[in-house]
Amino acid sequence: MAQISVCPYCGTGCQIVVPEKDEPFSVSGYKGSPVNNGKLCIKGYTGLNYSFSKERLTYPLFNENGNFIRISWEDAIELAANKLLKIREEFGPDSVAFQSSAKCTNEENYLMQKMARVFGTNNIDHCARSCHSPTALGLINTLGTGAATGSIKSLEGTNTFFIIGSNTTEQHPIIGSKIISEVKKGKKLIVADPRKIKLAELADIHMQFRPGTDVALLNSLMFVIVKEKLYDKEFIDSRTEGFNELREEVIKYDPIITSEITGVEPELVYEAARTYATNRPSAIFYAMGITQHIHGTENVMNVSNLALITGNLGKYGSGIFPLRGQNNVQGSSDMGALAEFYPGYIRWDSDKIEKFAKLWNSTLPKKKGLTLSEMFDRAADGEIKAIYLMGENPLITEANIARVEEGIDNLEFFIVQDIFMTLTAAKADLVLPAASSLEKEGTFTNTERRIQRIFPIYKPPGEAKPDWWIINKLGSRMNLWKEYSGPEEIFNEIREAIYNYSGATYENIYPVGKQWPINKENPDGTEILHTRSFPLGKGKLVPIKFNPPSESVDGEYDLIMTTGRNYFHWHSGTMTRLSQILEREAPEPYIEINSEDAYERKIRNGQLVNVKSRHGEIRIRAKVTNLVPKGIVFIPFHYKESRVNLLVGENLDPISKIPEFKVVAVKVMP
Amino acid sequence: MIYSLNTGEMAQLYERISKEFETYGTVDIQGDITFSRIESYDELRIGRSDKPPKEFLIGRNENVLVFTEPNKKAVFGVMSCDLKGFYIMDKQIYGKDPFYTARRDNTVFINYVCTEPCETGFCSSFGGPLLNNYQIQVINYENDKYLIYADDAYISFFEGFKQASKEEISKVEKLMHNFNMKQKKHEVEGSENRIKWNSKLWDEYAKICIQCGACNYSCPTCYCFDLNDVGEERIREWDSCILAGFTKTSAGNPRESLASRLRQRFYHKFVYYKKSKGEYLCTGCNRCTDDCPVDIEIKEVIDHDYNNE
Repeated sequence: MAQISVCPYCGTGCQIVVPEKDEPFSVSGYKGSPVNNGKLCIKGYTGLNYSFSKERLTYPLFNENGNFIRISWEDAIELAANKLLKIREEFGPDSVAFQSSAKCTNEENYLMQKMARVFGTNNIDHCARSCHSPTALGLINTLGTGAATGSIKSLEGTNTFFIIGSNTTEQHPIIGSKIISEVKKGKKLIVADPRKIKLAELADIHMQFRPGTDVALLNSLMFVIVKEKLYDKEFIDSRTEGFNELREEVIKYDPIITSEITGVEPELVYEAARTYATNRPSAIFYAMGITQHIHGTENVMNVSNLALITGNLGKYGSGIFPLRGQNNVQGSSDMGALAEFYPGYIRWDSDKIEKFAKLWNSTLPKKKGLTLSEMFDRAADGEIKAIYLMGENPLITEANIARVEEGIDNLEFFIVQDIFMTLTAAKADLVLPAASSLEKEGTFTNTERRIQRIFPIYKPPGEAKPDWWIINKLGSRMNLWKEYSGPEEIFNEIREAIYNYSGATYENIYPVGKQWPINKENPDGTEILHTRSFPLGKGKLVPIKFNPPSESVDGEYDLIMTTGRNYFHWHSGTMTRLSQILEREAPEPYIEINSEDAYERKIRNGQLVNVKSRHGEIRIRAKVTNLVPKGIVFIPFHYKESRVNLLVGENLDPISKIPEFKVVAVKVMP
Repeated sequence: MIYSLNTGEMAQLYERISKEFETYGTVDIQGDITFSRIESYDELRIGRSDKPPKEFLIGRNENVLVFTEPNKKAVFGVMSCDLKGFYIMDKQIYGKDPFYTARRDNTVFINYVCTEPCETGFCSSFGGPLLNNYQIQVINYENDKYLIYADDAYISFFEGFKQASKEEISKVEKLMHNFNMKQKKHEVEGSENRIKWNSKLWDEYAKICIQCGACNYSCPTCYCFDLNDVGEERIREWDSCILAGFTKTSAGNPRESLASRLRQRFYHKFVYYKKSKGEYLCTGCNRCTDDCPVDIEIKEVIDHDYNNE
């Protein structure tokens, strides 16, 4: 019989009904789901073929001088354990790094970070670093919780939608469609995006600002709100602190002045500020357009400032919605698969981590851990000797990949656990075949904090095993723990580790998931956060000064490139590019370039061009379109044929260490 | 022939059919009605399934280089609006597509006639839920009472069952008449001449459509597919005419804009098919709208006043 599962693509977490293999049916949306009410996007409908692909990894493989040979699981686990233990003995635990995955379950992420820490290092990180680490850090700093404050359902109550740095209809299509449905009813829509995205066409106000000028734009919105006293005084007085300091900063950002920086007409800023502040409740949606900057964390805090001074938090229909990319990036972050956080966002240097020493019956590492990009960097320097990587493909997705490659090539031992022989896996010493999300048990937490279950509906191909099984075996072989009986036992430990998960059980989160915090005080979960107070007590207003992005145009590199995804593909394409329909729709890499820029450079639509940055060069087909304004080009990062991340530099946000994927100065040559 | 059965006899009927056919039916998965293999009549839950039953005849993805004779299948719990889709599709693909044809010949659909209009469907605009074309058609018109219209090919399954009386038949006919009166009518007839090529509707829809493909995948009459060679297999996969790649050729794309693709879908349903096959490619099930994440209304396409835009 069919079973309910969760779509493995974006953070929306649509529930799907999956038939058994010998039944002639297709995937459909689960109508009982409060997330998607039975609806799906094209990736949900046609994108799950990869699970049945003949290209799936089916046996553990050992790389013998460039040839992968099949080995047994016993030998694979033995080899991995011996190598890691030997490197630890010789160079200490901090010479090993662990990379977890936002595509994997909560149970698996929890185990992975536990493995790192009990092994003796805080070198644990994953792709949330490259997407929402600024959200976790920024919102924890201002509100106390780094997560979406409302539910998808609560958008029915929203009167103004403010989208900044999210191409919602392409990247979170079901949330995007929910916004469209609400806008059709007459709700207001404000879009701030350099590109003319679909929602921009429907928007009441579209502010087409220059990449990297978010702080200036947000400050000038607050300038208007402060100047015209459109803020919520009662909320500011009772629920926040630091308003005077914030006011001091934002009054410097008259839209007339900032228009020079952002390129946005002052009238539009006035109109947007008035609409957002007065037509309440208002909700802000953002994604990588806010976070992937050297000031990513500051951007997030400024979004929080805007919501706080207008009282747009804690009420149904209001809130801040960081739209999570991966299906489980909320969960993997909650689990503490991050260098600076233990499960439940407890900082690595806080006294509170003592509870984990007890829970895990282990001493804990004293040193600060390395973040994703730092791990590769230190590997290149020879400081990191081994990496155990699960379900990521950094040779396509990381910034500055030439350096990543250098790091990987310099490793003594590299373990990759994946469902496919990815570009990255091909460089591993040991490749461990994993099960897909339709083949294992566990939980995912979606972008609205909803913990949802998945089930082993199909058998993994060959000898492939669920990631939790592999980590579990390896961990017990290294004497880090006594073997767990299965995902539920791990989940029960998570409930002990994270108070916000403590009330969730495998029974009560099925068939419909529940939103954390779910605990003694909120036994049924929590739809809206911060209704009475913030975890910090008062919401912190943090004045943010505008600083330009690290990259800027000059005579040679005269265009600003931003990167992102398109509707049809997912990240490094290992899953979606196996779906014939999806691949047909977007079969090759391309650069979107404005018609005026193309004309000036004598570039025709469909022509191959060279794109060069200060860091690298790629060859790619031009798509001449006015979806991007003059001066700005866009390249999706899915394609291994032309890896756009060869062009992205090494500059990081100093707080969250997220790379600056969204602003790269390039030149485009026919 | 028309028979009159009670619940116990329905289970008997199931038993008889299951001796000859692999049985499938609608089951309840946590409130979601979906098709599944069933082993007993008790498992059957009558209700609107989450998707149409067209996968019984057109595989979602399948290798068309290997033809295997299909098993004989009986599918219980098909809604009339869904079943009607096959009779309409037959005109285009029966006898031409060997996979469809063989499965069509080897599958018996037992359709259940709604006695109350559903929330969104508009089948009465196409004649209502009691169909003229059927294999075995069931109406549960009172608690324990079933009226069954069976094609003569299946007469052997009804041996010993009571034939329906005139009173019973007229009761059902009256019920159906009331059903059709209750449901709001949409003037489908003539739409092939009313719908306008340059209507503003297509642009309006293009503005909000996110190209999810739900309208195609959920439609009981959409049969289009794409072919791709994957390794040693030639995979036929359901396709969506809303996607740009659907009509892309080496010479370019005749339907580059989303608006033109949306228009094409409605023209196929209400203009082209009617003019070439004599029927509308729509049964009034409203699944395309129900599953559409941005609420594009197929009824609007029918009702819209094209002359006064």
